[in-house]
Amino acid sequence: MRVAIAEDSGLFRSSLDLLLRSFRTEVTASVASGAELLAAIRAGPPDVVILDIRMPPSFTDEGIRTAHEIRARYPGVGILILSTYAETSYATQLLDTVRSGVGYLLKDNVTDAEALMESLARVAAGETVVDPAIVRRLLERNRKPSVLEALNERELDVLRHMAEGRSNLGIGRELFLSSRTVETHVTSVFTKLGLSPSDTENNRVRAVLAFLRSAGT
Amino acid sequence: MRATIPSLPATRTWLGGVAGGREESRRAARPARWFAHRPWLSVTAILLAVGCFCALIQGPQWREDAALATANLAFSLVFVFTGLMLRREPGQRVTAWALMLAGVFRCLDFADAWNGAWPAYTTVFGGVDRIFGAWALLRYPNSSLSVLHRRYLIALTAWMLAGRTLIVVTSTAQWNGYSPSSWWPALVPDQRLSDTLNYVVHGGEALGGIGLIVLLVIRLTRTKGLDRVVITPIMAAGIIAVTATIVSATMMTLSLSVTPNTAYLTESVVDLGIPIAFLVAALQRMLLIRNVTELTAQVAAGGDISAVRHALRSVLHDPTLDLLDTSESSVRDLDSHSPGRLVSYIRAGQGAPIAVVVADPVLARYRELFDAATAASGLALHNAQLQAKAAQEKLEQVKASRARILEVELAERRRLERDLHDGVQQHLLSISAGLTAAMARTADPAATAAFAQASEGLKAVLSELRDLAHGIHPAVLSQCGLGAALEGIAERLPLPVSVQGPPRRLDVAVEATLYYVACEALANVVKHADAGSAQVAVRAGESLLEMEIADDGIGGVAADASHGRASHGLANITDRVSALDGDVVIDSPPGEGTRLVVRIPCG
Repeated sequence: MRVAIAEDSGLFRSSLDLLLRSFRTEVTASVASGAELLAAIRAGPPDVVILDIRMPPSFTDEGIRTAHEIRARYPGVGILILSTYAETSYATQLLDTVRSGVGYLLKDNVTDAEALMESLARVAAGETVVDPAIVRRLLERNRKPSVLEALNERELDVLRHMAEGRSNLGIGRELFLSSRTVETHVTSVFTKLGLSPSDTENNRVRAVLAFLRSAGT
Repeated sequence: MRATIPSLPATRTWLGGVAGGREESRRAARPARWFAHRPWLSVTAILLAVGCFCALIQGPQWREDAALATANLAFSLVFVFTGLMLRREPGQRVTAWALMLAGVFRCLDFADAWNGAWPAYTTVFGGVDRIFGAWALLRYPNSSLSVLHRRYLIALTAWMLAGRTLIVVTSTAQWNGYSPSSWWPALVPDQRLSDTLNYVVHGGEALGGIGLIVLLVIRLTRTKGLDRVVITPIMAAGIIAVTATIVSATMMTLSLSVTPNTAYLTESVVDLGIPIAFLVAALQRMLLIRNVTELTAQVAAGGDISAVRHALRSVLHDPTLDLLDTSESSVRDLDSHSPGRLVSYIRAGQGAPIAVVVADPVLARYRELFDAATAASGLALHNAQLQAKAAQEKLEQVKASRARILEVELAERRRLERDLHDGVQQHLLSISAGLTAAMARTADPAATAAFAQASEGLKAVLSELRDLAHGIHPAVLSQCGLGAALEGIAERLPLPVSVQGPPRRLDVAVEATLYYVACEALANVVKHADAGSAQVAVRAGESLLEMEIADDGIGGVAADASHGRASHGLANITDRVSALDGDVVIDSPPGEGTRLVVRIPCG
């Protein structure tokens, strides 16, 4: 897999570079800003770009703006934001504007190479990735009355994996279930939560996240 | 007080309407200058001359009844002295002359001791001093006599002179107790007629005296304000003196036991009360002026316009007095709306008038007092204005410095968060990535285990560090706004919190303030309210931002806010909000939850 990195911190960038190379990933560019990345990938776009959120010149949300730019110019390139901020609003903001092949992951995932490599692969394949830590917080969030009480344990697992952006196939693999069983659980979850079934798996992520965010009250 | 005010406020006065709006009324001579050095010379000279005249004119009286002669001399001197003092007061020249003439004529009454033509003179003119006295009593402190009073005086004088002339021409000197050698115009001597006339004329005079008492009592009851304070002793002394005169005259006419000289002596001594009362009145005016000092002290402490108005009313004895702020619209057209009122503008230094006094025109007679009182009021008002201005400036300074402190705090929090993010967090993350890379390149299970342990530890540290940075300042607040940041808190709290963010981005300082207020308030809800849920709603109007934080907990926060557990948090909230000129309202009835509303002006 070919990956390009835009990361403000040189220290983290070089460690990430080293980490990716250790897992036989080709790093085609490793730069410090969105503008530099756009210049660097002009010759040959990679499969996935890894973006930091806060980068020069304004140190605010360059990562998300660069994501829009890349999606507009290279629709086939997967986008993974590696962020320090465990904020749902960043994740949903990203997913609302970049519809597929996109992911919001905390940088803490560099301790788990397998998870990181899997996320890269999923984003490259056009799937959506939401950091499990963010999903966990949304699920654990106190709500009144607890709409999630209607779900059984298996259905909660399915819901969590849907929120993380996994496809039915991915969920089946994770939970050791057949895709048919997964489909049954998904339908059941949607019915119990009062959600209308989504046409694509990407729309499904957004619907579930929106539900989890709003059902806090 | 002087230290704060460089110059005494100048007052400018005129009589609205009465003086046709003329700006400056003529400054009358001041009673306080009575005792200036020069007048003493002329006063002493006049008193010496009057004293000599009165001593000489009584001549043989000194041998006959030295006590009476002395009393008469004292009477004359005191009346003349009082008249001389009174002459200097505005509009009191005529009254002063009446007093002085009363004094001189009293001694002339006793010139009959010389015999010759004097007994006839004193029989006819012996009551002239009383007429002058009555004139002074009826006139003071006005500058003219009323029609009624003038008619009374003319009638009394006519009755007295005509009646007594008739008595003289119908009697002889002997019948009247004088030596037969005296010159006497006995044109038609008739003992019975003369006796009858004697009763009729003196009876009429007694009735005139009673009439005078009635007039004086009426004057006293009809006079108000400062005039009443001043004339009361004079009227009282007058009533006593007239009563004494009537009694002594009646006793003499009816030939009761008292000898004439004893009656005259008593009368002279009682009459002394009148000039003494005039002097007391003058003294009282000076005491009133001294009261102004009290007024100054009184109003300097309170200071607002109604306190000054109250003080002026009391010190000037004028309940109708009004003191108006010149900024009030009613002050315009004051002249046309206050005909016949005394209008005086109070100024501070050379500036525009700061207030207007509208008072009873009678106070124009008490210029010294009135001017001193208005000047003192001006001083107090000016001082109050300066104090209010200073307090306002201080308040503005405090506000500005509070806002600055908040700005600095916000900047410092953002800097700290950025430093953590760019420094320690990235450093630790790069170590984590390096460890993971190292783990991938080793096949040694012991090394892998060690790497995995270190990696787990790092992950925990990173998580803690992220919470710490978020607590210092959430980056999402600056980047995504208040709504997202509030959602962020809500997701982290152990109770359901619904969030309704503002429809648009707000000012940075306002967003930060509302964010920290919400954190503080929600922390209080979690710690103390025992609530099942909470709501945060931010509404943005044209000129006002409102954030409402409500819970369904135990309530009762406001009751112990000053000393209770939640007080520190509430004080923090109030501090932050007032730094932006906003206010905080807490509604927390026990058992019905707590509702905290923050309002901040914007736009």
